[in-house]
Amino acid sequence: MAAYRPAFDRDSRPWWERVGRREFAVQECDGCGAARFPARAFCPACRTEAWHWREVEPEGVVESWIVNHQPFMPGLAEPYVVVMVRLAAVPGCFVYGNWRGDRPPEPGERVRVAYRRIDEELTLVDWEPAEDDGNLDTHPARRTSSR
Amino acid sequence: MSKRLLDFRDRTAIAGVGYTPFTKDSGVSTLTLACRAVLAAVEDAGLSVDDVDGLATHRVGDSAAPTLVGPALGLTDLAWHLDQFGGGSVSHAVVGQAALAVAAGMAETVVCYRAINARSEFRMGGTGRGVPVSPEVQYQAPYGYVAPPQQYAMYARAHMSKYGTKAEHFGQLAVTQRANAAKNPRALMRTPITLDDYLASRWIAEPFRLLDCCLETDGACAVVVTTAERARSLRRPPVLVSAAAWGGGTSHLSGDPSADPTVTAAAALAPRLYAQAGLGPGDIDVAELYDCFTYSVIVQLEDYGFCGKGEGGPYVASGATAPDGPLPVNTHGGFLSEGYVHGMNHIAEAVSQLRGDAGDRQVVGAEVALSTAQPGYILPATSALILRRP
Repeated sequence: MAAYRPAFDRDSRPWWERVGRREFAVQECDGCGAARFPARAFCPACRTEAWHWREVEPEGVVESWIVNHQPFMPGLAEPYVVVMVRLAAVPGCFVYGNWRGDRPPEPGERVRVAYRRIDEELTLVDWEPAEDDGNLDTHPARRTSSR
Repeated sequence: MSKRLLDFRDRTAIAGVGYTPFTKDSGVSTLTLACRAVLAAVEDAGLSVDDVDGLATHRVGDSAAPTLVGPALGLTDLAWHLDQFGGGSVSHAVVGQAALAVAAGMAETVVCYRAINARSEFRMGGTGRGVPVSPEVQYQAPYGYVAPPQQYAMYARAHMSKYGTKAEHFGQLAVTQRANAAKNPRALMRTPITLDDYLASRWIAEPFRLLDCCLETDGACAVVVTTAERARSLRRPPVLVSAAAWGGGTSHLSGDPSADPTVTAAAALAPRLYAQAGLGPGDIDVAELYDCFTYSVIVQLEDYGFCGKGEGGPYVASGATAPDGPLPVNTHGGFLSEGYVHGMNHIAEAVSQLRGDAGDRQVVGAEVALSTAQPGYILPATSALILRRP
């Protein structure tokens, strides 16, 4: 189950639907070619409204992470790791997810998306070390501590 | 720079401050807290509540609006009011807006207040109020990433990774502020702590421990803004509003390839703020810096120019922010130890220091103070004031 089911909005629904198909895409501006995430109508660089989806490698580097110990949300088992990833394809954009490595993340470490299917309607984006080529869905959401 | 329509600097003043007690359960509504703080501030200024012709606050659906507080106090003909949406990032903008309204002649006596039952009713991002409504939430909350301590811990870790900032730096700040709170009768937490106490406190969201986090507090605080000229004839020594700045900064979701999680909106705002006052960081005698978490102070020391980028941790560890250091910071104990009233109590403490009535925690010779808002990590905006003695 998901602790919190995201409320898709009119900008983001197509992005979530692609994630459900295990496609990782960002928007690319038809005016200047700048890529952006999360989904928005306007390009912040040139203010053009026209855009298209561009599938990118679901990869990035670890910008930061936390090990959460406090029960801020019901339905989750602490401790758990949340990682903040700088997208390789869009270096100014950060994507969050739970960590599925066997050890704590390292700053600057290359990571790759591990999709987590919740149900027919919802798939979430987790992250794992990029060198791990195993079956992405066999690792449980990792509980670890950097203490 | 655009043509200035209004000569703003030092035209307005804070003439009074008021508080309710800070507690873990006020037992009363935020409307009651707001009214008590407004009346206390008016009394401190030596004014009658009937002199008030403006009210301003900020809130995130968790407090009493001016349109509620005004009638509750029999103020049925306000000349100006402001109900600003937002949390700590706009706390100082509210007072800036009030000063602007007074300088422009829209109102003469504006009381700015913040009233919250942040422990007993509406815990920020925590239990009891659901998840805040923002489009960003959908990309974060499904992973259990929803509360300010988590968000600040994430940015603090980025700073630690990039600059070698250490837990001991955060801890030194917590220890210093607790020592300040020990001299403050209003403070919720007055028992001194050591660095070992800090390091032994339980994890909240690594790298943050319990003692990195501010105190969820029930309470209210208010300040009276009026013209500098009028303030001179009132009961208390006036404290001039030399500069007020607010606005947006870098969004860490904007797609800007240079996006750096170790830089806040304060870095963009600081030059505008200092220019308005005609002052620089070296002129600041005391700083009340928004300390929702320890790291918030460290990054602001850098972004407001008190030390180089990445040097905030060692700067604190050197004792620079202690009462006898070159820049006493959060002399009241801050949110970490006095209580969390979302920014207004930082402004009130700055006023107290500049009036010279801060008692045992008085910074000798304090003439210029900086007081700041949440520096823009949760919303990409911040605000700040420079206040001074005439």
